[in-house]
Amino acid sequence: MELFFLLLCIPILYLFFILWKRVNDSRDQQCYILDYQCYKPSDDRMVGTEFCGEVIKRNKNLGLNEYKFLLKAVVSSGIGEQTYAPRIMFSGREECPKLEDGILEMEEFFCDSIGKLLSRAGISPQEIDLLVVNISMFAAVPSLSSRIINHYKMRSDIKSFNLTAMGCSASVISLDIIRNVFKSYKNKFALLVTSESLSPNWYAGNNRSMILANCLFRSGGCAILLTNNKALKHKAMFKLKCLVRTHHGAIDESYDCCVQKEDDEGRTGFHLSKTLPKAATRSLVDNLRTITPKILPFRELLRFMVVSLVKKWNIRHGSSPKGAPQGPIKAGVNFKSGVEHFCIHTGGKAVIDGIAASLDLSDYDLEPARMTLHRYGNTSASSLWYVLAYMEAKKRLKKGDRVFMISFGAGFKCNSCLWEVTRDLGDGNVWKDEVHRFPPKTLVNPYMEKYGWIQDEDPSTFKIPED
Amino acid sequence: MPPTLPDFSNSVNLKYVKLGYHYLVDHFLTLTLTPVMIGIVVEIVRLGPDELLNMWNSVHFDLIQLLCSSFLLVFIATVYFMSKPRCIYLVDYACYKPPVTCRVPFATFMEHSRLILSNNPKSVEFQMRILERSGLGEETCLPPAIHYIPPKPTMEAARGEAEVVIFSAMDSLFEKTGLKPKDIDILIVNCSLFSPTPSLSAMVINKYKLRSNIKSFNLSGMGCSAGLISIDLARDLLQVHPNSNAVVVSTEIITPNYYQGKERAMLLPNCLFRMGGAAILLSNRRSERRRAKYRLVHVVRTHKGADDKAYRCVFEEEDREGKVGINLSKDLMAIAGEALKSNITTIGPLVLPGSEQLLFLLTLIGRKIFNPKWKPYIPDFKMAFEHFCIHAGGRAVIDELQKNLQLSAEHVEASRMTLHRFGNTSSSSLWYEMNYIESKGRMKKGDRVWQIAFGSGFKCNSAVWKCNRTIKTPTGGPWDDCIDRYPVHIPEVVKL
Repeated sequence: MELFFLLLCIPILYLFFILWKRVNDSRDQQCYILDYQCYKPSDDRMVGTEFCGEVIKRNKNLGLNEYKFLLKAVVSSGIGEQTYAPRIMFSGREECPKLEDGILEMEEFFCDSIGKLLSRAGISPQEIDLLVVNISMFAAVPSLSSRIINHYKMRSDIKSFNLTAMGCSASVISLDIIRNVFKSYKNKFALLVTSESLSPNWYAGNNRSMILANCLFRSGGCAILLTNNKALKHKAMFKLKCLVRTHHGAIDESYDCCVQKEDDEGRTGFHLSKTLPKAATRSLVDNLRTITPKILPFRELLRFMVVSLVKKWNIRHGSSPKGAPQGPIKAGVNFKSGVEHFCIHTGGKAVIDGIAASLDLSDYDLEPARMTLHRYGNTSASSLWYVLAYMEAKKRLKKGDRVFMISFGAGFKCNSCLWEVTRDLGDGNVWKDEVHRFPPKTLVNPYMEKYGWIQDEDPSTFKIPED
Repeated sequence: MPPTLPDFSNSVNLKYVKLGYHYLVDHFLTLTLTPVMIGIVVEIVRLGPDELLNMWNSVHFDLIQLLCSSFLLVFIATVYFMSKPRCIYLVDYACYKPPVTCRVPFATFMEHSRLILSNNPKSVEFQMRILERSGLGEETCLPPAIHYIPPKPTMEAARGEAEVVIFSAMDSLFEKTGLKPKDIDILIVNCSLFSPTPSLSAMVINKYKLRSNIKSFNLSGMGCSAGLISIDLARDLLQVHPNSNAVVVSTEIITPNYYQGKERAMLLPNCLFRMGGAAILLSNRRSERRRAKYRLVHVVRTHKGADDKAYRCVFEEEDREGKVGINLSKDLMAIAGEALKSNITTIGPLVLPGSEQLLFLLTLIGRKIFNPKWKPYIPDFKMAFEHFCIHAGGRAVIDELQKNLQLSAEHVEASRMTLHRFGNTSSSSLWYEMNYIESKGRMKKGDRVWQIAFGSGFKCNSAVWKCNRTIKTPTGGPWDDCIDRYPVHIPEVVKL
């Protein structure tokens, strides 16, 4: 019988070995951010409202009504005087862009950001195993991922993916790819490059719903270095806790609210319909409904369930007025119980205010998003990272804090994810030298007075002023 | 007179020696274990049934010990099966068959060319020469917008083409597999040169009202090998998400990318690229095991972007007049050969039988140690695969690969015939070729297929599939009405 027991040891040891291997593997499947670098274009690319006015005037297809509309949009957009535009705007050629304008714009961005990122992290380009590039409105052959691989001479067995046309929420979609690939492979480095290409996408016509897109987007980008190597856990900045994607393409109204198409004269532009806020709210609610149970503590969920049951009971028994104005859709849940910081996509003032109302956020919570919108404008998919950098620069991020990122995109998508801060951060990235100037005393656009008069002009007697 | 007969008999002997060697090494384990098993059986028979019964009775089994050991066995078996990587099945796929009205026979193409490039007879002449030697047939198709003189490549028309191609392929896929749109968990769309906002994946989600928690991805700019990149991504996702269906849509939208200038190097893609698309259903559900057509064995990706020459060989740029087109460099074949070699180096050890690997290793050692002048041993891939699907990039690509891999005409028949019937449909051409092999009734259970595709950047990607069940004809694919006419003999030059 001793022999029997001895023989039994072998499978038992093997069993323990298998179990230990599985536990070990699951620990290797976490996604950590080692470092990230936002892009700050050179100062000669800075534009303010005055320059925007000039650009608007340049377009011969626009009349007084369009001027009014656009200037009103620019002035009340929450975008400040120090945002950046692509170089093509300065040479006046925005209506006839060449292929190389788009390419040079992208090359300028990634040579700067990726170079800084890799040298600071001490990783050589040959160590990168996974490269995901998401730049919405630019598709060329070879892809931008190939361009990066060529520029940095990366390895031939690299896994590269080039995502396009996924809108302003593409950052989170790329994170989804990286997170999934990390679960199947051990000890890998991933590079996520996100930006937006503005040079080839200027709309030269006068369709109202399409000219708005011209004025809102600004240049920006970010390169992020991720890994699933748990030996580097102590160097990591953030750990990904969960990620939820919601796609409302099945609803026709949501799908049609943000479409790239040709206007009546055949000019390609970005059509933003009036149903955009409604589609955004709908997808936001759907997304929150899925992610809330995953990020909030059980106590809060229990409380919410009890409160909503009580409310339902009240309504059924007629003790609360049925016709009470709903107001903005309030989640009713206290998000602050599970999240300390909120990274909101800087789609515009309306977007930030809308999310603030839904999640019941204070000005302190909204400061990073509002300041990013003011300083860098709407940089599309990379805006989330500028907001994160602001929080870091203001030394708000302490170990154990949780950061909630949420963004919207054409289609209509709402993607969100939750990060946990793994060590006290205070570097500041692109905000380093100027964060002490924020928040500024006033956010009112200085051109409100200068261009305010345009609201009273009569179209028949209007002449473009010479100044 | 050189004595030829002895050589002949020598070669026959050599063939048998080779066969014997391969058999010996491949079945090494079986050949060594069989004598051992026979020995044990002989020993048992010798002992006689009475002695065996005595031995059995002398082994006491407590109930607890019995329970423990059986529980242990069951547990180990469960853990083992759970930790195996999930099997990825290709349930079925559907290829888009363009309508006859979109056909572009040589005569139509040349007439167009003469009318549009009326000021450049040299360019017209160039296109004619390319077409003569291209290996394309008379039934390839271009989208309606390109049939106009001059072509009308509006975004509206491009979206129209995308809708027709993708939705037809998807409808066909739903019909063949009985898949419900709500059951799709992962959607990957790849189209190199057309990416409108919202993306083509969003367009598919909108049309078929897919679920709101679908994981969708839109890859673009990745060239003709993007189909295999999408399969790679689908595989990684299916490893993480159990019980899921993934739909991969591979296509190339020609409308916005038809070169309208007169640079010769850029007119080449116009002569080769044609309309086409494919939708593929992958799954990791156990229930699909019975009806799946193939099982995915390997996907190997190689990216030669670090080499500047390779990077520049397929390049989109503007010509002198500012018209955008794709420039194919003259070194394309050499670079493709290099990229293939890299890819083979990785995939070889994964798929080649032991005998080939041993030979390769021995020659490698021999070259390093004894004499570097020994010829490098090129492993025989025909021993690892029954069928080859080489991306129908052009006649030269197929010729080059046939030479490099030492394949026979029958092996490359699927590629050549797809090029003839459908032209270069970019990332979906591999699926037309697969369908050709199936329609010919050549796909039997256990057959291994190797799909190789090249793409801009420069990438060489390959996928290895194993056939799960013998596929009956007709397959309900794009070859159904014309498979009897194939194979056709494609002359070197078709005189126009």
